[in-house]
Amino acid sequence: MAIPAKYLIERLAIFALTILVSVTVIFLVPRLTPGDPMSVVIARLSEMGGLRGAEPMVEEYKRMFGLDKGLLDQYVSYVREVMRGDLGYSIVHFPATVSDLILQAIPWTIGLLGTTTVLSWIIGTLLGALAGWSGESKLQSIFSSAALFLYIVPYYIFAVMLVFLFAYALRLLPASGGYTAGLVPAFTLDFAMDVVQHSILPASTIILSSLGWWFLSMRSMITTTKGEDFLLMAEAKGLPEGQILWRYAFRNAILPQVTGLAISLSRIVGGALITEVVFAYPGIGSLTTEAITTLDYPLIQGTVLIIVMAVATANFAIEMIYPLIDPRIRHGGE
Amino acid sequence: MTLKSALPGRLAGRLTSFLRGPFSNRNFDTGFAMFAILVVIPLLGVLLSSPDLLRVGNSSPALPPSPDHLLGTDVLGRDILAQLFVGTLNSLEIGLIAAAIGTAAGAIIGFVSAYYGGIVDDTLRVLTDVFLSIPSLMFLVLISALVRAVTVEAMAMIIAIFAWAWPARQIRAQALSLKEHEFVYMARLSGMGSFELIVRELMPHMLQWMIANFVNAFLSAILTETGLSILGLGPQTERTLGMMLWWALNSAAMYRGLWWWWAPPVFVLIFSFFSLYLMHAGLEEVINPKLRGR
Repeated sequence: MAIPAKYLIERLAIFALTILVSVTVIFLVPRLTPGDPMSVVIARLSEMGGLRGAEPMVEEYKRMFGLDKGLLDQYVSYVREVMRGDLGYSIVHFPATVSDLILQAIPWTIGLLGTTTVLSWIIGTLLGALAGWSGESKLQSIFSSAALFLYIVPYYIFAVMLVFLFAYALRLLPASGGYTAGLVPAFTLDFAMDVVQHSILPASTIILSSLGWWFLSMRSMITTTKGEDFLLMAEAKGLPEGQILWRYAFRNAILPQVTGLAISLSRIVGGALITEVVFAYPGIGSLTTEAITTLDYPLIQGTVLIIVMAVATANFAIEMIYPLIDPRIRHGGE
Repeated sequence: MTLKSALPGRLAGRLTSFLRGPFSNRNFDTGFAMFAILVVIPLLGVLLSSPDLLRVGNSSPALPPSPDHLLGTDVLGRDILAQLFVGTLNSLEIGLIAAAIGTAAGAIIGFVSAYYGGIVDDTLRVLTDVFLSIPSLMFLVLISALVRAVTVEAMAMIIAIFAWAWPARQIRAQALSLKEHEFVYMARLSGMGSFELIVRELMPHMLQWMIANFVNAFLSAILTETGLSILGLGPQTERTLGMMLWWALNSAAMYRGLWWWWAPPVFVLIFSFFSLYLMHAGLEEVINPKLRGR
């Protein structure tokens, strides 16, 4: 199926503009607001004892990060470096580079969100299909009300409730961190168990809050499919009900769910910002918030850029692939 | 009927038929009733209770609920119920301002885009899509961390930056399909100007749509405010439901067993999300009867 040129150009323009606008906003907003990263560094130095001899050091820092130059010069060299894929050094974590810090955080985020997104999609879709198939019943309406509740209540509320229940009331699970403080990350069974234990609460938060939507959308898709002629035909042929559901109805109803999953997976790099912060989980979300609060310009630019790039690329890809997956949708159709 | 006779015929007819729609829907009625509770009780509460209850050290700290303090006090001796009243109203104010700005800006952009078409439409549509594909929470965190909104109004403005794009897209699509109707051609042939045409012919047909968008924007504004507040980025000097939750979490209310501190804002938040969701679902059913019974 050919993609119309006008549509392709428009999508490419949106993709490029999204990134350009983001890059510019990320650059300008921190610099136009009061406060600067050097004051954070100075504060840290004075905490560590003595500011003596700090003056030349701060000057050197400023020179090194190009903060002594004009705004336009900074912008030009920033865009040039971004194009080359160089995200520079973090100011607060110097001498760590921004890329290092991001690479350290990304596995945590992708591990947590990748797993939970797929899990909740599978559970929600399967339950939703069963509920839609069984039609009006007491059990189905209980499930649907529960799903509606999960869908409406935002994830940070679940985070609060789960922490209360499991970390405070039952004292079963750790409430924060990616692993027990003091433990050195290594590929051992003990460490893996520790990581899993720490991820249970943030993971449940994310699963609970996305489960409802998958359930509801699958249920309504199956309900719509149920009236179709080809199902009546299958029934008339005397096929067993299980086969009609899973081989005929399910396969027809699942397309929008797959697209939905693709969209959700594209968003995982951004992390569950608030969940990560609430649980002090060492992923991209926490890294970004930390960068923002310490005014670490290069780190802010790097993390937000990576997230914007991931989302914009995924959006672009989905727009292109969409009509291939589902022939009912046309490129650029209203 | 009394309303109808009191007003000039045409307007009254429009108004009653307009109101009959939503209020004949059960979901909308339930949501609306919940919303009324959400507004009236805190308003009465603020009017009837003493502002002293909000002062630090007004009562003993961390008191559990009692007849004196129905929801107890926080660690600084402030009455939780009094905070809840103020916080609810402030959260609703943020929702109201952000949703009003977002829907109005979105409506203007959507109408202009659909009505003029061509290069204007292309530009505005690309702009809308850019705003929709930017991960807005990320940027809101960035902006609110650096700008440090102090007041409820400033917070609402920040949230409104991203609140217009979705309504704009929705309203553009609706206006596009309306534009081809004969009555629009009629109006244009009879010499009506563009602005007048948009306001007098297109808008009335889209009011319910715009209200549905408004309710949706209202909900997501409160959602966003709470999210930002939980990160400590809410309005610094005022109370909102999100800020209450932040103070409670920040003072480890959960680990100290002070459930009466964090549970009330959580409950009111869930209550308001349900109220707004039901209103929105009801409105959508009225606009698009095919959705009914889903």
